[in-house]
Amino acid sequence: MWSPYKKWLLRDLDRWRTNGWLSEEGRAAIVADIQNSTSAFSLASALGILASVLFGFAAISFVAAHWEDIPRLARLLLLLACIWAGYGVAGWLETRGQTLLADAAVLFSSGMFGASIMLISQMYNISGDPADGLLLWWTGTLFAGAVLRSNPTLALAIVLVGTWSFLNVSESNTVHWPFLIGWTLVTAAFVWQLWWPGLHLSALTLSLFVVSLGYLLGKGHAHELVAVLGVSAAIGSVAIEKTRFDLDHLAAPLFAYAIAVAFAGLFALQFFESPSVVQLLLLAAVTLALLLLAIAYALSRSNRGALWIGYMAFSVEILAIYGQTIGSILGTSLFFLIAAVIVAGLAYLALRLARRSASGEQPA
Amino acid sequence: MIVDRKWLWPLLGGVALVQSAALFDMVYERYRLLKSGRELTLSVHPLDPRDIFRGDYVTLGYDISTLKKSTTESDPDFNGFIPGAAAFVTMSPKPEGGWTETRVGSTYPSGVAAGDIVLKGRVLSAWKSKDGAESIVNVRYGIEKYFVPEGTGRALEDKVRAHKMEAIVAVGSDGTGALKGLVIDGERHEDPPLL
Repeated sequence: MWSPYKKWLLRDLDRWRTNGWLSEEGRAAIVADIQNSTSAFSLASALGILASVLFGFAAISFVAAHWEDIPRLARLLLLLACIWAGYGVAGWLETRGQTLLADAAVLFSSGMFGASIMLISQMYNISGDPADGLLLWWTGTLFAGAVLRSNPTLALAIVLVGTWSFLNVSESNTVHWPFLIGWTLVTAAFVWQLWWPGLHLSALTLSLFVVSLGYLLGKGHAHELVAVLGVSAAIGSVAIEKTRFDLDHLAAPLFAYAIAVAFAGLFALQFFESPSVVQLLLLAAVTLALLLLAIAYALSRSNRGALWIGYMAFSVEILAIYGQTIGSILGTSLFFLIAAVIVAGLAYLALRLARRSASGEQPA
Repeated sequence: MIVDRKWLWPLLGGVALVQSAALFDMVYERYRLLKSGRELTLSVHPLDPRDIFRGDYVTLGYDISTLKKSTTESDPDFNGFIPGAAAFVTMSPKPEGGWTETRVGSTYPSGVAAGDIVLKGRVLSAWKSKDGAESIVNVRYGIEKYFVPEGTGRALEDKVRAHKMEAIVAVGSDGTGALKGLVIDGERHEDPPLL
C-alpha cells in the first residue's frame, strides 16, 4: 500500500471522526488494518531487490572485464555457484518467513544466469545474434519467476523481453513480431499472480511496441495505424467500463495507456511527417478535441492516471504547435485564439451543467 | 514467493538445475562444434574493437560479409534475400590456397561437392539496383567478434594492421560457424579448450 494513500485516509478518518460519522473503535480498526497492510512492503525488502540489481550489474561488469587471471572454467563455475547459492538463500529466507527477501535472492540468481550466458558467449567468441543470448536469458528468467511465483523475477523477464525485441529491431529495422509471444507469456504469468504493478509493465511495453509500429511499418510512415489503434483501445476501455463494473480497475489504466498511444501516433503525424497547412490544422484540431474529451472522461471517472496523461499531452501538443507555426505567426495566434474561445465556452458549459445537477440534487 | 513449503526445495532445485542445464547445453554445443566442425580459413580485416557489455573484442570483417550478385556465380535466388532471412554460402577451396564463395542460396544446397563447405549466415541488409541487374547483401555469420583480454584489443588491432590476418572457423554439418582462433602473420592464436 502506498503511503500517500495512507496519509489521505488518516486525514479523512480524523475529519469523519470529528463529524461523528465514525466511532472511535471503527477508526482504530481501520487504522490498524492499513498499518498491517503497509508492513508487507518494507524498507528491507526494497533494499534487498536493489542489492540484487547491483549484484547483477557487478557480475556483468566482471564478465566484461575479461579478467584472464582466473581461468575461464573457474569463472564459469563461480557464476554457476552464484546461481545455486542464490536459490539456496531464497529457500532459507522463505522458510524463515522472509518472503520478499527470498524474492530478491531469486532475482539475484536470474541475474547471474544472464551473466553466465554472456560469459559463455565471450569464451566461445559467439557473436551470432546479440539477441539470441537475451532470448535464452528471458526464457530462463520467466521459467524461474513462474515456477517459484516470484514477482520481481517476472518483472525482470518482461524487461528482458523488451530489450530482446529492441535489439532485434535496432538491427533489422523491421517489426519484431515474436515480441508478442514473449509478451503474452510473461503477461499470462502476471495475470496468474494477480500482480498489478506487473500488468502496468506489460501495458507499458505493449504501448511502446504499438508506437514503434508507426516507425517500422509502411516504410516508417504508419502513424495513422498507431493513432487508430490507440483511439480504438480507448473506446474499448470506455465500453468495458460502461458494461462491466467489476472490471473497472482494469479499464481505467487501459484508458490511460490508450490515450498515450493515440497521442503518440497523432503527434508523429503532425510533427514528424510533413503535412500541408490544412492537414496540420485538421490534425491539431482533432488531437486537441480528443484530448479534451479524454480529460473530461477521466475527470468524470476520477481516473487520475488518464487525467495526468491528458494534461501532459495537451501541454506538449500546444507547445509543439507553437513551435511549428501554422502558416504564419499570425495564423498560429489565430489558432490559439479560436482554441481558447472554444475551451472557455466549454468551461462555461461545464460550469452550468455542474450547477444544474447540484440544484437538481438539492431542491431546497 | 508463494510456494507451498512442501514443494519449496524441490522447486528451487528444479529451477537451478534447468538454468544450469541450459548453460551446459550452450557450452556443449560450442565444444562439439569446435571439435568436430570442418575447418575453414578466411582472410579478415578488423573493423573496430570494444563491447560495453562483453569487454574488449575485435570486430572482424570478411570478404563474404558483403556478397554481390555480379561476382557470385550460379545463384538462382539472390533476389529473394530480405533482412533476417537465412543465407547459405558454399565455399570451395582455391587451387592457390584459401577459400572462395561459389554459390549463395536461401536454403541448404543439395549435392555439395566433397571438398566444399557450406556456411550459414543471416542477412543483415539487402540492396538492389533499379534495373535489377545488381544486388548486394550484407550477411552475418556469428564469427564477427573475437574477444581479447582487457587492454590488449588495441595492441592486437595494431598488429593486425601491419600483418596479414586469417580467421579459423569451425563449421558444423548444418552450416553453423564458430570462430576457433586467429592466424596472424602465420602464427596461430587459439584459446585452449575449456575441458
